[in-house]
Amino acid sequence: MASSSSSGLTFKLHPLVIVNISDHYTRVKSQMNPPPPTSATSNSNNSNGGENNQSPPRVYGCVIGVQRGRTVEIFNSFELLYDPSTHSLDRSFLEKKQELYKKVFPNFYVLGWYSTGNDAEESDMHIHKALMDVNESPVYVLLNPAINHAQKDLPVTIYESELHVIDGIPQLIFVRSSYTIETVEAERISVDHVAHLKPSGGSAATQLAAQLTGIHSAIKMLNSRIRVLHQYLVGMQKGDLPCENALLRQVSSLLRRLPATESEKFQDDFLTEYNDTLLVTYLATFTNCSSTMNDLVDKFNTAYDRHSRRGGRTAFI
Amino acid sequence: MDSSIAQKTWELENNILTVEKPDPSSDSIFYYDEAAQAKFQQEKPWANDHHYFKRVKISALALLKMVVHARSGGTIEVMGLMQGKTDGDAIIVMDAFALPVEGTETRVNAQADAYEYMVDYSQTNKQAGRLENVVGWYHSHPGYGCWLSGIDVSTQMLNQQFQEPFLAVVIDPTRTVSAGKVEIGAFRTYPEGYKPTDDPISEYQTIPLNKIEDFGVHCKQYYPLDITYFKSSLDCHLLDLLWNKYWVNTLSSSPLLGNGDYVAGQISDLAEKLEQAENQLAHSRIGPLGPPRKKEESQLAKITRDSAKITVEQVHGLMSQVIKDILFNSVRQSNRSHNEQSGPEPMVEA
Repeated sequence: MASSSSSGLTFKLHPLVIVNISDHYTRVKSQMNPPPPTSATSNSNNSNGGENNQSPPRVYGCVIGVQRGRTVEIFNSFELLYDPSTHSLDRSFLEKKQELYKKVFPNFYVLGWYSTGNDAEESDMHIHKALMDVNESPVYVLLNPAINHAQKDLPVTIYESELHVIDGIPQLIFVRSSYTIETVEAERISVDHVAHLKPSGGSAATQLAAQLTGIHSAIKMLNSRIRVLHQYLVGMQKGDLPCENALLRQVSSLLRRLPATESEKFQDDFLTEYNDTLLVTYLATFTNCSSTMNDLVDKFNTAYDRHSRRGGRTAFI
Repeated sequence: MDSSIAQKTWELENNILTVEKPDPSSDSIFYYDEAAQAKFQQEKPWANDHHYFKRVKISALALLKMVVHARSGGTIEVMGLMQGKTDGDAIIVMDAFALPVEGTETRVNAQADAYEYMVDYSQTNKQAGRLENVVGWYHSHPGYGCWLSGIDVSTQMLNQQFQEPFLAVVIDPTRTVSAGKVEIGAFRTYPEGYKPTDDPISEYQTIPLNKIEDFGVHCKQYYPLDITYFKSSLDCHLLDLLWNKYWVNTLSSSPLLGNGDYVAGQISDLAEKLEQAENQLAHSRIGPLGPPRKKEESQLAKITRDSAKITVEQVHGLMSQVIKDILFNSVRQSNRSHNEQSGPEPMVEA
């Protein structure tokens, strides 16, 4: 049912949305399966599976963000009520929540809705159509909450609806779209902080280590990705793998982007920045020096106080 | 993966206590036990002990929301409320939401304007399944550190009289971005007239000159709480996978460019402090030094620490720029040395 989208819109997803949906799901799930009163952690692996082993609940919500031209950027999300009798989302609730969010984030519009589950279902189209009068072409964000450790990819898919002619009848079906993860600097730092539980505070040494470790892991990822590409290309050269021209064109364009910037102006700016940092370091060393000198002079004055009889009366040489 | 080994070695060398990876059974923290919470409210164990609450646990979601909201305010202070529950001597923050008030330090009752919003939001939340109550408020101090100003202290004292249990959280988004780690502080005030028996040793942070008086007058009226973070097993899993996608952002982030104004402000503030220190030292040169003050550092030593901090951050920023330059721009050097005219070579050799 889900083929790849051809609408040409690029989607950008913020990590906040993903954490939001995951939190919503975890909350609803834990309210349904209350933990045992004596919360012993060791043998209670099966405790949740004991009494109320219901199937994982589906949660619903709305995603909001900004659409600028062909780029759809999803910033935030909030929960919605699902009415099982009418198989649709509670409309008045949506509007109320939308009003509240408009006051704080006046730039964000309703871009679509989200849900949890394995795959897009038929009943989802009903909800999707209902939302179409708020936004002509809403997006559907689906999160798969099943924790599968073998999976390397993020279990989040974005679907759009497209009008396709099937058996002579024009129908709306879901088509998958690709998306990129977009963050602002502050978001990235806090996600990093929570994900890796980096130590906060501490001496300059730990800060340096943290900074370098971060860059190191990122470069390692870059390296492994490039190796994968390299192996693929070698395989293609040997003839093991079928030759795919589209991919070759992409790789070639990637390579032609190096060096990234080569202008004179960049060099100038870069060196200016470098010099500025060196200047700041110089100033700081100066300050450090003068502070140490000051301490030395203070200590000297205390030890060799001229007005008292104690301490040496001999001159300091 | 090698990176995990490197991380573990580093963690071991730095005595870092690793938090156990949460498994589904430990997601119990997300369960809201209404009866137990109501009982706790009735007992009010905090009424007798002014230092009752010692720890704060913040969920990943709440932290993310607060930091993003604080940063979106730019240089304007923003504020919001936190929802959660209590657990013994810990306050647990599950979620946070922003309030549509423009924060200015002079408005004490900014919250009065936001009451309607708060009531509306709490009602809709309860319907949607978020059962927790409001358990605190947060606001941002863009660029001047995590502490409570005079207005904040009086607001919080009022809150602690009428809306217990209540917590105050301060976030500095500018310093977060500049330093690369989250600047956050959680506080509770002592009631009027209460003097703490022992002097709590708080972590030193630099305060700009125009705020330092406000800080000094009130810093004894509240105490900081320890902050830890938690996340669900699903969060954990998703964040791990997220790394696969946003390592690009880590590499491409450039703290130097974004924070030029802030650093310039810090340096000029430091210059003013130096002038002040110079005057102070000039006076004390006259007589012999008083009894050595062990705990308080002299003004100059504080300035030295501040300058070191600014420099370290700058150097970190520059390091990442240099690394990126070497990675992505050094092809031209190898091209020049080999003097080949054929197309660009792949950067990484087999």
